[in-house]
Amino acid sequence: MIEAQGLTRRYGDFTAVDDLSFSIEEGEIVGILGPNGAGKTTTIRMITGFLPPSEGRVTVAGKDLSSDSVGARGSLGYLPEHVALYEEMRVVEYLAYRARLEGVGRSQARGLIADALSRCLLEDVREQIIGTLSKGYRQRVGLATAILHRPKVLVLDEPTIGLDPKQIIAIRELIRELGRESTLLLSTHILPEVELLCDRVMIIDRGKIVAEGSPESLRANSAGDSTVRVVLKGSPPDAAAILSALPDVTRVEAAPNGRFEVICAGTADPREAIFRMVVERGWTLLELVQSRASLEDVFVRLTTHEKPTAPRASEVVAQLDENAEEVTE
Amino acid sequence: MSAFLATLSRELRAYFFSPLAYIVMAVLLVVNGFIFWLIVSFLSDPRASTGAPLELFFGQTFFFWLILLFMTPVLTMRLLSEERRSGTIEVLMTAPITEAQVVLGKYVAALSFYIALWVPTLAYAGVIARYSTVDWGPVASGYLGIVGVGALFLAVGVLASAVTRSQLIAALLTFVILVPMFTFGLLENLINNEIAKQIFGYLNLWQHMDDFAKGIVDSRRLVYYASATVFLLFLATRTLAVKKWR
Repeated sequence: MIEAQGLTRRYGDFTAVDDLSFSIEEGEIVGILGPNGAGKTTTIRMITGFLPPSEGRVTVAGKDLSSDSVGARGSLGYLPEHVALYEEMRVVEYLAYRARLEGVGRSQARGLIADALSRCLLEDVREQIIGTLSKGYRQRVGLATAILHRPKVLVLDEPTIGLDPKQIIAIRELIRELGRESTLLLSTHILPEVELLCDRVMIIDRGKIVAEGSPESLRANSAGDSTVRVVLKGSPPDAAAILSALPDVTRVEAAPNGRFEVICAGTADPREAIFRMVVERGWTLLELVQSRASLEDVFVRLTTHEKPTAPRASEVVAQLDENAEEVTE
Repeated sequence: MSAFLATLSRELRAYFFSPLAYIVMAVLLVVNGFIFWLIVSFLSDPRASTGAPLELFFGQTFFFWLILLFMTPVLTMRLLSEERRSGTIEVLMTAPITEAQVVLGKYVAALSFYIALWVPTLAYAGVIARYSTVDWGPVASGYLGIVGVGALFLAVGVLASAVTRSQLIAALLTFVILVPMFTFGLLENLINNEIAKQIFGYLNLWQHMDDFAKGIVDSRRLVYYASATVFLLFLATRTLAVKKWR
């Protein structure tokens, strides 16, 4: 449905997107992930025909964006990163204008507009002037414009940004539903969102694809160390030393309140050994959790160029944690 | 066609919803009304030379130009620059619409609004017709001149609006191009070289309007407006194609 070959974009000497090639099949939901400045938005703008590539070509629904630009754009629905709307128009008016722009007939437009309004939870503001709407509503008006004409291909750049948690859940539900009708390309910072929604993920960094695959396969391939979290009541003083002595354990990190992070080599699973040991000692076990390598680990590992302790890496992690919390709350 | 009409109707709607348009309309009517009154009272003096009021209105006074030079930038400054400043250009240009359709839709909207602004002045002709006789030929050609020169000036404005993101710069740029365009032709009378004189004469907008107001329709002048308008709109289309994402 989307075919990109050797896509490159330079701004002066700076190469924002470097020889990107990928193909998205019909019905797929693909996520683009990457740190800020990785080239996500530039890539998306080239796919939607807004930005001409320096090199390479894109076809959307079989139509070449350079030779049949209008045709290709006709099968696209697009929600840009910064949703800009005509402030002086009413929501319904704006959607009616967009329907006309997309070449939808008057009789058909009525039903499509009503549908888009209800799917994007906009019915209560349909007669409001866009300039008076809050960020969350504007975001949804943007989304309504993108899905209005039932495009074959939907490109959403950060679709849940600026929404409150309740709206995020509703919009995610909508995105999943849309994924059944159209091919979907989704860019986001929020990793759990990718895991929840996408069949396939492309991690982009410095204008190149650094990893590609389903969220599960990406996790599996990043065979790092596995970690087991242990929480013991009353934090026994010699616990750290005893835990380190267990087979396969490479390192133990003690945290306050009796929490220990037990790091093991490879895929070893020390949970059983830990349990027996705790029972033998007569300690009280409050928690015993094996944490799988998360997509976040994969992401951070792939997109970090300095030493892991460098500020940039920790910043990324901090931001991701924040996002994750925001979402899970 | 649907995309062009969508742009056209949106822009027209934007004109009629913006206070600026009403200010322009009010100022235009007040100034025109005052000038018309001045001309009529001047001509009704028994000592005055004979003349047709509407001929003086469009032709021999500079008021018409003053209005036009200030009005055009105000009408066109927003058209493309605002789309780029606010970012709405991104959803616009990713819809199935060509740059030419966008430019044309906006231009035709501006031209329609401009023509709508002049429609009330038809009442002046009506007033004269009631009390005196009106030679409708020169009136018609006068309006033809208004539309022709207006079409050219608005095309300059559209191009200026495509060049920059700032409405203010677009307006100033339009003004800075229009003033020389207008005064340039006036040099006709200050030059002795025969060929140069002819060239300036061809471009002398003041003379053009004077003739239109008298009922003289010179097709070369209409060709000048039309070709210059098409060229300017073509430049605006190319500018938009290159600059839309910047």
